[in-house]
Amino acid sequence: MTDSRGRQFLSLGLHSAAIIAFQIALMQLISNVQWHHFAYMVISIAMLGFGAAGTALSLGRKRLANAANWLVPLLMIFSGGLMAIVFPISRAGIMHFDVFLLFSGGQGFAALILNYLIFFVPFFFGALAIGIIFMVKSKEIGTYYFANLAGSGAGGIIVLVFMAKFLPLHLPALIGALPVVAGLLLSNKQTWKQNLVAGLVSILLIVLLVARPGQMILSEYKDIALARQLPETETQIQKPSAYGFTEVVYAPLFRFAPALSLTFHGDTPGGHVIFVNGNYFGHVLQHNKTGDSHLLNYTTMNLPFVLGSKKRILNINAGTGTSISHALSHNAAHIDAIIENRSVISLLKNELRYASGEVLLHPAVQVHHQQTRNFLANAQSATYDLIILPLMSEFGGGAGLNALREDYDLTVEAFREMIRTLKPQGMISISTWIDHPPRYSLRILATLAQAAVESGILHPQDHIAAVRSWGTITFLLKKSPFTPEELQHIRKFSLEMQFDPLVLPGIRQEERNYFNQLNDTTLFNKVEAILSSHCEYNSTYLFDISPPTDNMPFFSNFIKISRLAHLSEHYATGQLPFLELGFFTLLATLFKSTILAIMLIIIPLTALKRKTQGKIGTLLYFGSLGLGYMFVEIILIQKFVLYLGQPIYAVVAVVSTMMISSGLGSLYSQRFQPIPATIAKAGFAIMLLLTIMLLFLTPMLQQTLAVNMYFKIAISFVAIGLPAFVMGMMFPLGIRLLSMQNPAQVPWAWGINACFSVVSTSAATLISIEAGFQTVILIAIIVYFAASTAFIISGSIRKWFH
Amino acid sequence: MSSNLIVVFIASTLMFAVAGYSSDPTENIRSIMVDNQIVRRGITHQATLRAMRTVPRHLYVPHEQRRFAYFDRPLPIGFGQTISQPFMVAFMTEVIDPKPHYRVLEIGTGSGYQAAILAEIVEKVYTIEIIPALANRAKEVLSRFYDNVSVKIADGFYGWEQAGPFDAIIVTAAAGTIPPPLVDQLREGGKMVIPVGSPYMVQQLMLVEKRGGRMVTRNLMPVRFVPFTRN
Repeated sequence: MTDSRGRQFLSLGLHSAAIIAFQIALMQLISNVQWHHFAYMVISIAMLGFGAAGTALSLGRKRLANAANWLVPLLMIFSGGLMAIVFPISRAGIMHFDVFLLFSGGQGFAALILNYLIFFVPFFFGALAIGIIFMVKSKEIGTYYFANLAGSGAGGIIVLVFMAKFLPLHLPALIGALPVVAGLLLSNKQTWKQNLVAGLVSILLIVLLVARPGQMILSEYKDIALARQLPETETQIQKPSAYGFTEVVYAPLFRFAPALSLTFHGDTPGGHVIFVNGNYFGHVLQHNKTGDSHLLNYTTMNLPFVLGSKKRILNINAGTGTSISHALSHNAAHIDAIIENRSVISLLKNELRYASGEVLLHPAVQVHHQQTRNFLANAQSATYDLIILPLMSEFGGGAGLNALREDYDLTVEAFREMIRTLKPQGMISISTWIDHPPRYSLRILATLAQAAVESGILHPQDHIAAVRSWGTITFLLKKSPFTPEELQHIRKFSLEMQFDPLVLPGIRQEERNYFNQLNDTTLFNKVEAILSSHCEYNSTYLFDISPPTDNMPFFSNFIKISRLAHLSEHYATGQLPFLELGFFTLLATLFKSTILAIMLIIIPLTALKRKTQGKIGTLLYFGSLGLGYMFVEIILIQKFVLYLGQPIYAVVAVVSTMMISSGLGSLYSQRFQPIPATIAKAGFAIMLLLTIMLLFLTPMLQQTLAVNMYFKIAISFVAIGLPAFVMGMMFPLGIRLLSMQNPAQVPWAWGINACFSVVSTSAATLISIEAGFQTVILIAIIVYFAASTAFIISGSIRKWFH
Repeated sequence: MSSNLIVVFIASTLMFAVAGYSSDPTENIRSIMVDNQIVRRGITHQATLRAMRTVPRHLYVPHEQRRFAYFDRPLPIGFGQTISQPFMVAFMTEVIDPKPHYRVLEIGTGSGYQAAILAEIVEKVYTIEIIPALANRAKEVLSRFYDNVSVKIADGFYGWEQAGPFDAIIVTAAAGTIPPPLVDQLREGGKMVIPVGSPYMVQQLMLVEKRGGRMVTRNLMPVRFVPFTRN
């Protein structure tokens, strides 16, 4: 290893950047070929790699330290080559698994484990290189830790740029080049030959994989894979973007007809379909400028338009413009259309301009590339006649695949904002596919009713109407009560289309179940209970249908751990995943990562029969840091999704800011003596900052949601950076103290830290779903209290025993 | 693992072991399947039960899935398609109440298993599959046993106008719409049945009936629950 500290820092920074970038790229790739739930799997695999590297260091401490000179650069180069090659290997037949088949009969578990192992390898070797550097430089850990964290922060930004420029399959190989360069940078006179050979082999491999990346082998159940099975289907455009890999497929037999009325006798269109990360995004329909009847007139989504013309419309998440075209066909004078995905806007305005009938270029349409809540915060009161939300869930129910996604557009606070921007006669229209047992529809109704009450509407039952077809339900919330004429129009529309009214002021029970009969009357009973403000409507149901709030914005999650026992009284336990796949995937990930963390980190370390003192203190301290840091990181990501508007921005902003700030904190910690009292002070400072976060972060973000992006970035940097700076001091201070008191425990401490980080990733999400973001921050405060006092407690115990 | 699954698992394992000693070694396992998975869950339609005992389900699944053929679950058949779980097939068949003189249209041939069950009961089965590889595979198996099944490679959206009207239609490949031509090709008083939702997830069954020119839909029990209700 070179003696040049500059090259060492640069090398460590580059290598660390590659590990983070590879982690995010792998999440993107796995989202493409499977589903985004496995993002948690990737995070836990990465942490597991770090943990297992700590174990290896602990077991072979002296030998690895002696070999650092030649081993570290080789490990870096090797991990770079592995990053390039593991994803192509995972596409081999033996490695193939499918999430549906995992739960249905357990087919593919062996392949899943193989995937775990194969993805684990580059993280393990990459982390081992970092760990050896930390070990041999433990006295200057603060400076090296800074290089590590600053590099990791930069990795988040690098991958964002790569994702916008390169196809997903190119990402691992391109990122893999970074550790190879990092390894070559560490070469010295003794090692340059071996490094050069290894480097050349890796570079050759990388060039080969960039030139011939092969095919992406998707799950056959992905939407795009199903579309491609149809005849005459052709992939026409593929665009990398930070919002996901966007593809346009021409599929004339892949039809758009969302639960059309059975009175419809025409043809239904196929054509261009947009997919993002392999998931259906929307059909691109030719906007008909001649004013002919729109296809959506035969769906429940036409409900607001049967109540008279709507001149000024806000179309939230307007997708591919179908609802814009529908509104235009009803003579809308102005439509504000929010489309968050810039790549889709570009497609509709350029490549698909004519296929879409130039719908986004219509003079009445103004497209906003913005997050809904940001837009609403800036919108004036009493602006809109109608706010349209997109059709929710999917045909046959959502399968719980979106359960873990924060949805700030569908919280009580969001609907309150929407109500504020409505004109006195204005209304909100929201539709959902029908699911059984009913969940989406009931939660929509409960959320609308709650938002109405909080907006000063005393009798929401006079302001809400809903109509049900055989496949969808559309709800309307009107700012003023529905008039008798309007109710008459709704009944007439229902009769003509063979739909059934579901919610109407003064509705008769028999009206609800005429054309589309339900054997199970749960939907009707619960609708009544919600509208009559029965507090028990939620607690007496198997599923959680309570209105989501900004503190728990998981609209699509209907499972509560507290109700699992109750659910399994009704349905066989083994079948619960079939109700809500997302939630159970998270549970399974938590379970698997805990088991693997114990197997790969804890068991080997406890088998180490080394006489060391203060194991409890070390365990408590480094375990708490692993848990607390990741809890804060995950919650900040979830909070900043709303603030910054895009999940990918939130991930990069939070991860990069935290890493860089913690790196600076680590550098700053070099100024202090590593004694328990200093550590306790730093810990209490973190607790204070987290308490401020607990009390003031949410209101502060809400108050500044409407400010411009530069201010937001500045606010984000302070809100994230300040606690992260102090949090970054804890780990190096602890390592330095440990290297003085008990150097044999240093790698063990690193392993413990990683082990708890593994578990905390999915645990933080689970707790936030179950109890809200604030609870997770509260737990983080308690955890940092434990860390602050760990060495003091450990010292006292030792004294007491002696 | 439920006791049903254990019984079927042991029987499946033994199936090939006894192949040399019996004319049809799968007959017993089919009987177990019908008794445990179908009759116990309330299916009483005698013709359906007879057909389920007769049709060798394992011949309709890909080779690598044969050992699971009589398990109580759907199975992948390639191309993102599935063969429905045995109970589901029985339930759908019972719902349309097939009579010997019926002409039945199936949209989405898939494995061909549902068509085979119907062919055991009714006069004529028309089945349409859009994926040529699946259609050809099903056609090959079906032609070995039945001369009353016609398989067509086409877009099921338009139905089979020349062969209609039909007494019943089974749409196993619905995706958010009920194609208007199918409604037209359904005989007055006829029944159309559509499973709604992914075969691996909670599915419900929708029955569409044509009564006096009016279409009435009826959502039946979520079928994924029925077989898996605690037993």
